[in-house]
Amino acid sequence: MNARAPAAGALRGGEAAAWLRGAGLDWLFAFKATFAVLLAGWLAMRLSLEQPGTAMMTVAIVIHPQSGMVLAKSFYRTLGTLVGCAAAFVIVGAFPQQRAPFLLAMALWIGLCAGGASLHRNFKSYGFVLAGYTAAIVALPVVNHPQNVFDSAVMRVGEVMLGILVAGVVSDVVFPQRLGDVLRESVRAQFAHFVVFVRDSLRGALPRGDLEKAHLRFVREVVQIESQRSSVVFEDAGVRLRSPRLRLLNHAFMAASTSYQSLHHLLNRLQDDAHAPVRERLMVLAGELAEALAPAESAPRMAAQAALLAGRLDALRTRQAAPVRALREGLSARADRLDFDTGAELVARITGELRDYAEAYAALASPHAVRAPAEPAAPFSHANDWTGAAVTVVRATATMLAMGAFWLASAWPEGAGAMLIATIFSGLMATVPDPLRAIRYMLGGYVLGTVAGLACVYGVLIRMDGFALFAAGLVPFLLPGFYLGTRPAWPGVGAGYLLALLYTVAARNPMQFDALHAINDGLAQLIGVGCAGVAFMLFAGTSDSPWLLRRLLRRLRLQLVEARRLPLRGLLPRFESASRDVAVQVVAHTRAGSRESRELLAWSLAVQETGRAVIELRLALAAVDVPAALRARVEAALDALAALYAAPGHARYRAARDLFSAALDEAAAHAPLMAQLHLIRLALLDAGSILGDCVEPPPEKESPHAA
Amino acid sequence: MPRELAFLDALVPGLLLVFLASLLLQWGLDWLVGRYGFYRHVWHPPLVRLALFVCLFGGLGLWAMR
Repeated sequence: MNARAPAAGALRGGEAAAWLRGAGLDWLFAFKATFAVLLAGWLAMRLSLEQPGTAMMTVAIVIHPQSGMVLAKSFYRTLGTLVGCAAAFVIVGAFPQQRAPFLLAMALWIGLCAGGASLHRNFKSYGFVLAGYTAAIVALPVVNHPQNVFDSAVMRVGEVMLGILVAGVVSDVVFPQRLGDVLRESVRAQFAHFVVFVRDSLRGALPRGDLEKAHLRFVREVVQIESQRSSVVFEDAGVRLRSPRLRLLNHAFMAASTSYQSLHHLLNRLQDDAHAPVRERLMVLAGELAEALAPAESAPRMAAQAALLAGRLDALRTRQAAPVRALREGLSARADRLDFDTGAELVARITGELRDYAEAYAALASPHAVRAPAEPAAPFSHANDWTGAAVTVVRATATMLAMGAFWLASAWPEGAGAMLIATIFSGLMATVPDPLRAIRYMLGGYVLGTVAGLACVYGVLIRMDGFALFAAGLVPFLLPGFYLGTRPAWPGVGAGYLLALLYTVAARNPMQFDALHAINDGLAQLIGVGCAGVAFMLFAGTSDSPWLLRRLLRRLRLQLVEARRLPLRGLLPRFESASRDVAVQVVAHTRAGSRESRELLAWSLAVQETGRAVIELRLALAAVDVPAALRARVEAALDALAALYAAPGHARYRAARDLFSAALDEAAAHAPLMAQLHLIRLALLDAGSILGDCVEPPPEKESPHAA
Repeated sequence: MPRELAFLDALVPGLLLVFLASLLLQWGLDWLVGRYGFYRHVWHPPLVRLALFVCLFGGLGLWAMR
């Protein structure tokens, strides 16, 4: 017992150290961010800008523990601010001193920007929202004196730029935490996990549930790496130069993971005794592949290991043909040969794609691989549902118009502030999963921040004189806000707290103390945030609207139609990335484990595999010479398949299935077509897939099986 | 270089133009230096980048406003 005690103590000590390290990083960030806010305030006061508070608020908005995030957000905040100012000139210039058209134009502009934001990802979408509401921030204070709009815009740009500069320099120079390191770790983990996953699962069958779980993880990793890549390019020139290689790596991973899932579906279908000969022969091929992967015992950290792996896979690829021929000899039944050929083709494809993936990883990790790859990497495609964007436009515009009408009708002095904040949040939160919950947290943060801000100004700052004392009085209120922002358990509370605090403090030189105005203003802000929540209840986003969710799911299925229709050039990376992009959007808007979420995963898997097979089939059709009659038959089958995915139904399902069977019978002499046709037909026949719902007419409501 | 320039009849500080020019220059230098792996031999690359920018902006600014 005594012997165990020190070990347990050491373990606890290790845990404590890890916890301390994590907490230390969080507090380090809080101090860094507080320092940056105060530095921006001091500089703004030295430069006698009108509202140093805006510079401080900008710092609080863009600052993030990882410097790449700060620089990316700053970049898009700069663009958004400049575009917003230009829009303010145009709108004020077009409708000087005409309230109604001015508000209408402003509301439309903000709505369109918010809609544009929902069509983009990451900070690009933030830039769109910002372009919208910056116009309002610049134009509203001068609405009665339109000739001052230029000065207002210059001040706003100056304050925002100052805040951005300070935030960027402080976060990049003072104890930086690099996003590049996080990205490197993500890529390494993705590579290690996938190689180990393939190796371990090649030896046996994988239940569909596990396959779906793995699929979800792969899809998430792909989109996460792409999103980190899009931010990290601002951080450092080395990563920027590697960015095309990173894209190649992600595309290679997508290709390999889709093929691997197809192979597993095939193996799963061959699990019964009747298929034992085929299965055993395919397992021989799979075993060889697993063996080539086997020495990757631990996570392959080094580029060298990945390069070795690529070499082994390349060697395997060249000597795969002989065992395939030998194994094929033993099979006599036509159906067995078809299954075997398809499986062998898939194993060969996966071997090649894994080799590409390992090569891409080795090239990326080597310190000398800064030269761009020979072939330019295709961009990561996104796919959007336009109805969701339209709802966002309507929501933001309607929020602003309703609040504006109330402001004008009631002559509420703080009405403009409430209108602005409601519009800002109805735009900002449109891209967030579960916006209602986010706004609840944000509102909580706002309440805390307003109270803290009033306490800070009228309890502390009113007694302080000079910047040093002002800063000292502000620090105890700022620190907890930034620390709260690093807690994942309360997303948005920290941000809301800081925004409300800095808004209430409204740092100026000299400070102005008007308690009545401050309380009225704070209340208006709270009402504004609450109204944004109401807007999300009235015009539900994708998370709360089954209709929009179904539209998004349909967008996912339409990826297959695009795989059928679009020109082949660059289609494969486009399809692989866009279908994953939509899948992640749906995942973000569904609760894990819910019926919608499971349905989505099943569809996503089906679209991924079948879409890939469709593209491969089209590539094969383009590459080999086939009789015109057969070509027409295959094309017709593909059209039927696209129609089925566009609108699933029994009749279309039967048509597609029969056409593929017919095409398969006719294509017997064309091996490259056979494998893909067979794969698609198998996916159609697979009763376990989501298309299984189309096989038989659904049971009637009163049938006993419905329960 | 004049202290203020008229750009579309709006007065723009001359230093702002110098600032933007140094940003551009810095961006090019950063790319070049990163391309040849200079940052691998440096303890704190962002600090070097910042220092480089301060030198550029300071030097150009002093030269332009002399």
